[in-house]
Amino acid sequence: MKPYDIVIIGGGAAGLAALKGAYDKSLNICLIERDKTLGGILKQCIHNGFGLHHYNEELTGPEYAERGIEEVLGLNVDIFTDTTVVDVVKENGTFELMLMNTKKGEHRIKAISTIISSGCYERTRGAIQLPGDRPAGIMPAGSAQRHLNIDGYMVGKKVFILGSGDIGLIMARRMTLEGAEVLGVAELMPHSNGLTRNIVQCLHDFDIPLYLSHTISDIKGKSVLESITISEVDENFDYIEGTEKTFEVDTLLLSVGLIPDINMFDSLKFEVSKKTGGAIVDQTYQTSVEGLFACGNALHVHDLVDFVTEESTKAGQQAKAYILNNKKRSKNTLYVTPSSNISYILPQTLDMDDDFNEVVLSLRTTTNALTGKFHVYQGETLLFSEKAKFVVPAEMEKIKIKKEHLKHSGPISILFEVVSQ
Amino acid sequence: MKKEMICIVCPVGCHVSIDTKTHEVQNNKCKRGERYAKKELLNPTRMLTTTVNIDSIHQRRLPVKTTDAIPKEKLFDLMDLLESVEIKIPVNLGDVILSNVFDTGVDVVATMSLKD
Amino acid sequence: MTYDFLIIGSGISGALIARELSKYDVKTILLEKENDAANHATSANSAIIHSGYDPDPGSLKAKLNVEGNKLYDQLEKELDIPLFKNGAFMVAHDKDEEGLLERYLERAKTNGVPGVALLDQAEAKKLEPNLADSVTKVLNLPTTKVTYPWEVAIASIENAVDNGVLFEKNQTVEKIDKQDEYYVIKTAEGTTYQSRYVINAAGAYAEQIAKMVEKNVQYHITPRKGEYIVLDRRVQGFIKRTLYPTPDEKGKGVLMVPQFHGNILIGPNSELQSSLDDASTSKGGINVVKEGANRLAKNIPFHQTIRTFSGVRASSTHHDFYIKPSLEQPGFIHVAGIDSPGLTAAPAIAKYVVETLIIPQETLPINKHFNPRRQAIKLYDDMSLSERQEAFKADQRYGNLVCKCERITEGDIVRHIHRAVKGDSVKAIKKRARAGAGICQGGYCEHQIIKILAKELGKTPLEINYFAKGSNILKRETKVKS
Ligand SMILES: Cc1cc2nc3c(=O)[nH]c(=O)nc-3n(C[C@H](O)[C@H](O)[C@H](O)COP(=O)(O)OP(=O)(O)OC[C@H]3O[C@@H](n4cnc5c(N)ncnc54)[C@H](O)[C@@H]3O)c2cc1C
Ligand SMILES: Cc1cc2nc3c(=O)[nH]c(=O)nc-3n(C[C@H](O)[C@H](O)[C@H](O)COP(=O)(O)OP(=O)(O)OC[C@H]3O[C@@H](n4cnc5c(N)ncnc54)[C@H](O)[C@@H]3O)c2cc1C
Ligand code: SF4
Repeated sequence: MKPYDIVIIGGGAAGLAALKGAYDKSLNICLIERDKTLGGILKQCIHNGFGLHHYNEELTGPEYAERGIEEVLGLNVDIFTDTTVVDVVKENGTFELMLMNTKKGEHRIKAISTIISSGCYERTRGAIQLPGDRPAGIMPAGSAQRHLNIDGYMVGKKVFILGSGDIGLIMARRMTLEGAEVLGVAELMPHSNGLTRNIVQCLHDFDIPLYLSHTISDIKGKSVLESITISEVDENFDYIEGTEKTFEVDTLLLSVGLIPDINMFDSLKFEVSKKTGGAIVDQTYQTSVEGLFACGNALHVHDLVDFVTEESTKAGQQAKAYILNNKKRSKNTLYVTPSSNISYILPQTLDMDDDFNEVVLSLRTTTNALTGKFHVYQGETLLFSEKAKFVVPAEMEKIKIKKEHLKHSGPISILFEVVSQ
Repeated sequence: MKKEMICIVCPVGCHVSIDTKTHEVQNNKCKRGERYAKKELLNPTRMLTTTVNIDSIHQRRLPVKTTDAIPKEKLFDLMDLLESVEIKIPVNLGDVILSNVFDTGVDVVATMSLKD
Repeated sequence: MTYDFLIIGSGISGALIARELSKYDVKTILLEKENDAANHATSANSAIIHSGYDPDPGSLKAKLNVEGNKLYDQLEKELDIPLFKNGAFMVAHDKDEEGLLERYLERAKTNGVPGVALLDQAEAKKLEPNLADSVTKVLNLPTTKVTYPWEVAIASIENAVDNGVLFEKNQTVEKIDKQDEYYVIKTAEGTTYQSRYVINAAGAYAEQIAKMVEKNVQYHITPRKGEYIVLDRRVQGFIKRTLYPTPDEKGKGVLMVPQFHGNILIGPNSELQSSLDDASTSKGGINVVKEGANRLAKNIPFHQTIRTFSGVRASSTHHDFYIKPSLEQPGFIHVAGIDSPGLTAAPAIAKYVVETLIIPQETLPINKHFNPRRQAIKLYDDMSLSERQEAFKADQRYGNLVCKCERITEGDIVRHIHRAVKGDSVKAIKKRARAGAGICQGGYCEHQIIKILAKELGKTPLEINYFAKGSNILKRETKVKS
């Protein structure tokens, strides 16, 4: 069988945009989605707040998804739903994907280029090693969201939420509206991890207290959850004795982070960033494996779907260019490294032989700032500084760099200077 | 007196302030922020997004939203009203599920198409 | 109806005693208070089939440990259980500990442990490159193995049930009365049983059970908790062998145990506690475990931690296993104080109970129909290509990958639901089929598993328990007011 030019793994916002970006009449493209329908995580994010950048409209998750789906439905491409990619290897320059579904069982397809847009999964209780008993009633907030919004089941009546990530905040409101009592949200960091709009609309609106610099210090319950205790933490995240507060709840939702879901593709052995948990890519979203691209939450976790669409469209276009221009990976690599107060920058490398005028770097800071400055260096040389306002770790920042600036030696590094907090 | 609030109309999240007497708004990056702050002061309203029952094979609930914001204090009343709504497939995105709720001129519409 | 034997507790001890008794033509029933077999010590331990270097020579522990270790090879064939023959290193860091290694070498030889030898640092590192740099010498214990303890227990019960034993779960023995000919056993759930013999294999609860029958119980259970970290299976190969420190007065110390599917278990600490069932974990305990592990290996991928858990050792004031008939009431047998190496010793414990304690009192007719074999249900991921193709042809549900992390299909789950000892809760499925046992800990697949369970068991998703009765994950349906 003739290999596909491009295979896209995952049909969420990222996969749909990548498909649109990659589309060309002369190319043979395939998208594979494990769910019965396209749209990904957006289908369970029934709240609104999506699309302001991309569509200039405030849409709900399902609406945003449906637009993306409509945009690709007419295209002459193969879309296989209800099919999971279980393994990918690269042999003699060609990707071989092992697929599984209930119609054909295990089967293989081949591709010259592959785009990973498989989304992310939620960090669990075990990963953050919460102490205490291990009863029923503790689950990631996104799982509870799925149970509620797609299947119509409530997972509890009295709820506490650990982590002020967006999913947790959204679920605080959602469960309150559906009749549950949400007793509070605890956040380990001294600042919230969610979008401000969610703090306002999901917590303040319903008088749900947010406990900053707090974490769970005990969990009680034999077979079902009976209570949780939170404690304030010091700078080293150790519990401060005497600050314990106990809440009688039947449900503890965890909103403690998302991690790119790329373990299925371990056989490809592409380089993975310890910071993002996703692949290390250059400005064309190409990973360390030639012809393998990554985008969306599978690359790094996004707070805005609009940015997912933007990034993934580019990734798709780059994959298309890779095939059409028969591009080879150059050795002329420039590294982009985070410096003080920056947690990560994407892309992590620049392919300097690539034909580009400017690149947009996406980055997250490690601290909050009312005002601050980004300083961009190459080697020891300060290229430029840029002011920023209302910087929070939860929201991604973007910095443009022109290629013409990059004539010094050494890697690019960016640091963030806090001017006022 | 000035009231500080965070504009939530878009993800920029401007920290705006509004004078409770003159209704003058500051620190907003755009017009929508001014509108938001005034509304939030005088007549806070919210969009509601929730679900209703549906007989689809794909999912047991259909996501819906209000076409516009409704008075904040009506949120739970509307939730109550939607408890007993049952929708049959096929449904198209935008189909009206409940019209003119509480005489606000606001409809509740489907936010997903479900054909089977 | 009057049973000949009633066994309390379906941990590894009770399970293998049940199987041992099923070799005879007697009426046996096994009772368990939980909603699944093997949920206490047997599901929360280090999973090691110890070689037998450790117990005091001459103790019952030493004898049953070495015998038990050998019997596992037979169980592997008969019950088709997973047995990972990876061997172990006990490591020393200084002259004192090297001295201990020599002592354990002698003890191992005295206890009849085959193949033990000392290796110097270079030899050891060649075999285990990630050994901590501070390790100076190791004791090689090649007969040490690793298994899935609950799987051994469940397999034994399934085989016992196949051979005529009755297994009832959700039956908490609350009261035992001695009548002339038999015991009357009452459970909290309201069932009454009669049996000529009662075998007390209730683990940490053995003393409680004993008190229902005896005035002066000869032992006192002093529970000791042990906490663990589990690393994701993707760390496979980081170490090949189980690594032990030299034991101290608290026990074997913090170990690193590679598992059959690639995960590494790290733990336990050892804390005395008053509660029989407090299996909570603590920040302090987990820190002790991490520190201990850092003395065994270097650059441990702790960031791949997927879970923490703990188990309670049913240690007793008797120190050795207390496996004896009651001094007060004939027909009541204690299988108590079964702490480490109880898992290892269990097959030998079962033989000892039946052949040494019962048969001299009671002629047991042979069960002519006894079938020693049980066939495990192979997981799709463990099958060969042709087996997978055949499995899919027979059942398309093998094409539906439910748990991405552990690569478990709907076909696997369905089969494990309908095993002789049913997998009828989310956790029971995780124990049997590993679904939800990976990095996302079920976050991704739990909703599907609930649906599959509901369908197969003819229930609604609302009725599906996480584990215990009444631990349903979904509490109520929305939008049902009509
Ligand atoms: C709860 C929540 C709230 C959010 N709120 C907002 C908001 O208010 N505003 C906003 O702008 N953004 C929001 N976001 C962010 C945004 O929605 C997401 O970042 C975006 O939808 C992610 O798209 P994706 O395609 O990368 O991932 P996904 O949508 O997760 O898509 C990945 C797809 O890949 C499929 N897949 C995975 N592995 C395989 C495989 N091996 N084989 C085949 N298919 C596979 C999955 O089934 C899935 O459909 C929110 C996100 C979440 C989770
Ligand atoms: C931390 C730790 C590490 C260990 N590591 C190892 C090791 O590596 N190797 C090794 O060989 N051994 C090890 N052990 C020891 C081994 O796990 C135990 O000895 C063994 O599992 C004990 O099995 P059991 O059947 O006696 O008890 P359990 O497994 O505890 O079973 C007792 C059963 O009785 C039931 N029960 C209690 N009361 C009642 C009642 N009233 N009515 C009905 N049922 C009741 C319980 O619910 C339970 O299922 C370890 C133990 C621990 C705790
Ligand atoms: S004022 Fe304008 S830019 Fe600022 S948050 Fe509001 S809508 Fe966004």
